[in-house]
Amino acid sequence: MKKEYVAQFQHIDYKDIEMLKKFLNPHGKIMPRRRTGLNASNQRALAEAVKRARFMALLPYIVR
Amino acid sequence: MAETAHPDTEARAEVEGSSQAPKDITPVYEIGFHIVPTVGEEGVPAVLDRVRALLGDAEIISESFPQKMTLAYRIERAQAGAREKYTESYFGVIKFATEREHLSAIEKGVQGIREVMRVLIIGTVREDITQHKQRTVFSSDRLEGKVIEKPAAQKEVAVEVSEEELDKSIEALTG
Repeated sequence: MKKEYVAQFQHIDYKDIEMLKKFLNPHGKIMPRRRTGLNASNQRALAEAVKRARFMALLPYIVR
Repeated sequence: MAETAHPDTEARAEVEGSSQAPKDITPVYEIGFHIVPTVGEEGVPAVLDRVRALLGDAEIISESFPQKMTLAYRIERAQAGAREKYTESYFGVIKFATEREHLSAIEKGVQGIREVMRVLIIGTVREDITQHKQRTVFSSDRLEGKVIEKPAAQKEVAVEVSEEELDKSIEALTG
């Protein structure tokens, strides 16, 4: 499958929701690594940032 | 008689020297908080002052004034026997440097403010990470705005050919 994103982060900010939204599917779930194209540590950092943003109600937990 | 510094005195001087320049060693944190919308625009600075006061002698690196925003989902909380529901809030962030042992007291203190409905403290770096350019590329957008031009075909120039040469070339082709 073709990777959609080629990205490497220096830091991921949980407040940068426009950037985080690029890595969520239409249901608000975090895309898998095979789709994001991130390396393992960046994928973990992304997951943490998304979860922080959800806790702070900047991103929804689920989109119906 | 020459004076020599006592080893204990030297050690103390080193400790004092290190306490005077702790900027690079002190861990940096960022506190994000939601202020209830019922305080209104005029009530926000007072709440912000209370949060700032709870940070004590922590070095405040940067801060963004709480801005009104719509929440991604409804936040509910039980307060004084009633259930409060909020769909918008004033969201503020303060970046500060302090010792790790002060964190739990700061978090409890901010959570104790009635007007603050949600708090998150995270470890971060002193530099402004929003200034770093993300090297995110969406593959389908890679060629957006670029027009790939087709290379222009070279025009063939007509040259007059004598009948003899034409016959020769036909014979060469037919064998």
